[in-house]
Amino acid sequence: MSPDVLRAGLLVEARLGRAPQDALEAAVVLEAWAGVPAQQALETARALMSGQPAAPATSRAAPAAPSRPPRQLLEGFSFVVAVAAIALWAAPLAAVLGAGVVRDALILALPVTLGLQWGMVARHLGRPSGLAGLAEQRNTLALTAAALLFAAAVLGLTGALAALLIVTWTAGTVVIRRGWAVAYCAVVAGAVPAMLLGIPAPALVAGVAAVTAALAWWALATVPTAASRPGRWSRTLAAGLTGVGLGVLLVSDPTVDWADGAAPALALLPSALGALWAGRHLWSLAGAFPRALAGFPACAARDAVPRSVALGPARVLAGAAWRLTALTAVGSVALLPWLGTDLTGVLVGYGLIALATMLIGIMDALGRPSLGVAAVAASVACALAVRALDPAVAGAVLACGGAVAVLLLLPAALVLLARPARTLATSVWIT
Amino acid sequence: MAAPALEVAAPPAPARRLTAVETRPRILLTTEGTYPYALGGVSSWCDLLLRGLTEFDWTVLPIIAPHGREPLYQLPAHAREAGPVEVWSETVPRGRRRRGMRPALPGVLVRGLLGWNGDPEAVLEEWLWCRRNPAGVRRVFRSGAGWAAFLDGLAEVLGERVAEAGTPPQLDAVEAATLYHTLYWIARTAAVPTPPADVLHVTAAGWSAIPALVHKALHGTPMVLTEHGVYLREAYLAAARGGGPAGSRFAATRLARGLARAAYSGADVICPVTDANAYWELSLGIDPAKILVLYNGLRQPEPPVPPPGRGVVVSVGRIDPLKDIHTLLRVAAETLRVVPGARFEHYGSVTEGEEAYERSCLALHAQLQLGDRFRFMGRTTDPNGVVRSADVMLMTSISEGLPMSVLEAMSQGRPIVATGVGGVPDVVKGCGALAAPGDDHSLAMGVVMLLRNPDLAWRLGLRGHQRLGRLFNEDACVEGYRSLLHGLAHGRASLRVVAG
Repeated sequence: MSPDVLRAGLLVEARLGRAPQDALEAAVVLEAWAGVPAQQALETARALMSGQPAAPATSRAAPAAPSRPPRQLLEGFSFVVAVAAIALWAAPLAAVLGAGVVRDALILALPVTLGLQWGMVARHLGRPSGLAGLAEQRNTLALTAAALLFAAAVLGLTGALAALLIVTWTAGTVVIRRGWAVAYCAVVAGAVPAMLLGIPAPALVAGVAAVTAALAWWALATVPTAASRPGRWSRTLAAGLTGVGLGVLLVSDPTVDWADGAAPALALLPSALGALWAGRHLWSLAGAFPRALAGFPACAARDAVPRSVALGPARVLAGAAWRLTALTAVGSVALLPWLGTDLTGVLVGYGLIALATMLIGIMDALGRPSLGVAAVAASVACALAVRALDPAVAGAVLACGGAVAVLLLLPAALVLLARPARTLATSVWIT
Repeated sequence: MAAPALEVAAPPAPARRLTAVETRPRILLTTEGTYPYALGGVSSWCDLLLRGLTEFDWTVLPIIAPHGREPLYQLPAHAREAGPVEVWSETVPRGRRRRGMRPALPGVLVRGLLGWNGDPEAVLEEWLWCRRNPAGVRRVFRSGAGWAAFLDGLAEVLGERVAEAGTPPQLDAVEAATLYHTLYWIARTAAVPTPPADVLHVTAAGWSAIPALVHKALHGTPMVLTEHGVYLREAYLAAARGGGPAGSRFAATRLARGLARAAYSGADVICPVTDANAYWELSLGIDPAKILVLYNGLRQPEPPVPPPGRGVVVSVGRIDPLKDIHTLLRVAAETLRVVPGARFEHYGSVTEGEEAYERSCLALHAQLQLGDRFRFMGRTTDPNGVVRSADVMLMTSISEGLPMSVLEAMSQGRPIVATGVGGVPDVVKGCGALAAPGDDHSLAMGVVMLLRNPDLAWRLGLRGHQRLGRLFNEDACVEGYRSLLHGLAHGRASLRVVAG
């Protein structure tokens, strides 16, 4: 090697702080940082690389630092207040409209609302600048709400009440996402004392729906404009169907009378809070794959990965499941004195549905939402089959439906988590 | 290097051929992250070409990252946009689902694009399959068989031992998955339908060549490749200064090399904007006869007015590591120590994704205590105006083709102090001062010399103005492409008639 080439080699190493990767990199350095003309740089670089090949360097990707989950404390608290307040609406509403109307309205409203909420999250709200994207559709949303109310009126009182609840809950999702959870809570909770003071409950529900819808409109009208990309319609539809399925599951148990006081809604609280906590933990799932796989040789990724690598993402799942189960169990036990031991089956059923919901979310995050839809469909079919048998135990339909979904989804989730490299490459990043 | 002669003149055409051509030749212009969605030299050149060559029907096919923004350029009446092709988006490929998988696809792509001696023909064959089976691409890449084939191909590439290529590093699983994802989007880009065209015009030897190469393989349409910078060189520069792990660096540079090789092998004519870039193109073993240097140009300028004499030094360029703004700031600091009354103004917005670099520039600006004496002015819509208000034009890039900002300075009769990269030495010859890239002391001395000798600065500016009019004028640039595209379109029309 000539002295000029040696000098060039030292220069390149000094600039890069390491040996050049190949002749082209050496040429680039010589040209860009040493002012060597292109042709001479390329020739020198080739001469520089003519020595013995070095041993391959081991590379390790630097995974991005885990991002903080979004603020959920306030959202969780507002959810609790809203559920409790709406639970307290049931009795005053039933007193005016009749228990049958309230029951049917809730059975109709819950699945539709969950479908809309899941669909909205998949299409807009769960995405960066999602509110801005939804804001572009606010006229369509307003027209849809108006059409919903008009169509529901044809169904009489039941339809009208269901429509008002759907508008309130769906608009509430937008308001909470905007960060105005306190305002939403104030509106929903404020209706309770008014009802207790004797103001007609249906009028108050209509008023709450109107105010919440106006708040949602204002929330969307004032959101800063930003470039946003809506989610795919296929994913939106899958999410919507999943939401509807979960809603059907929740109202499918004949032993749970949603018009009979606040108990059914209150029984939902422990598992809902557990799901929120678990969801917060699951925020780190996508990042768990790169963290576990960083430094693991690519060419060994085809075979079974060592347990230490596979356990990384699986540990996140276990942590989330533990949080959900523990909080649901503790909350349920705490509520039993008020709810009565008859509702133990209902509490278990809600817990299983919450677990299934968490697993559906994982399937979605791992790029396999269709598995979630299939599991919910099977779960609803099972719940309806058990319902046809008219079981004596309260909550049996809920528990069976939830258990089927969990049994279907848990093995699938474990398989995906056990082969993290393939899952990351083929499912998580290629949606 | 002298530009080789190019034989693209159409043979004498019978009436039938003329009819085919007289129906306004259709040009498909493919761009990558530039026109019409971003400002910059390449976009300005595209716009110039489209507006100057009105006898063609242009279709622009931009390849962009999904950002949801509107185009920054309005296309002229004889041009339309197809697409854009949004890579890294969540869209699912459309198209009929056909039976049959091609699990080997990712393996062939990794071998063909990343292997030092990878086979561009094999890659092209896979891209053709992607084009015929757009829906199948996603199915293959989401399958376990596709992933396994990829890992086999990657193992082969990493096992290569070629002296010039160095020893490939052992990629980890995250880097491999990232590369797999990139290859998926390359395959998706190949699957994009292209409109009918008589000539394909590619604006970089990278992603924008993919749809054109597939189109050419399907229809035999001639393909022109214009390179402003050198895609491969800029990919290596980005990787070298990025400081990422060895595996990521290897994947990024080898992929750029694979795409450039494919583009060069498929192009009928390769048009660098300067002779200096041709060496890089030749280094990949392309036939010198394919190369035709066509300089960028500016509209024939009005006679220049003398500099204002206020000690203003202007620089124009994106805030991007390739422009080496750090050196620019250090040059300013050193100049200000000698000429305290000087003022520096930098025009240009930050490149998308280089926000961290912008922050580092601001930090260095603060550290050097430049204050108002060096101002970041943001984007300008009147580059000639800002250059006219300057006494000296400064450019510190570490990679350039034939920079428009230098030509703009010459058009306004302003002297230039610049780094001697790419085609800059060819242009600035005799009308400014050159220094090695990163040599802030020499650059500062150049600026000081011109600020202290306004007569010399004015003389150099006038020389640049004359040189621009003689060599780098807009008409020559547009006429060069007119002649080239007409020639290829005629040839193409002949082929089509014969085939028909």
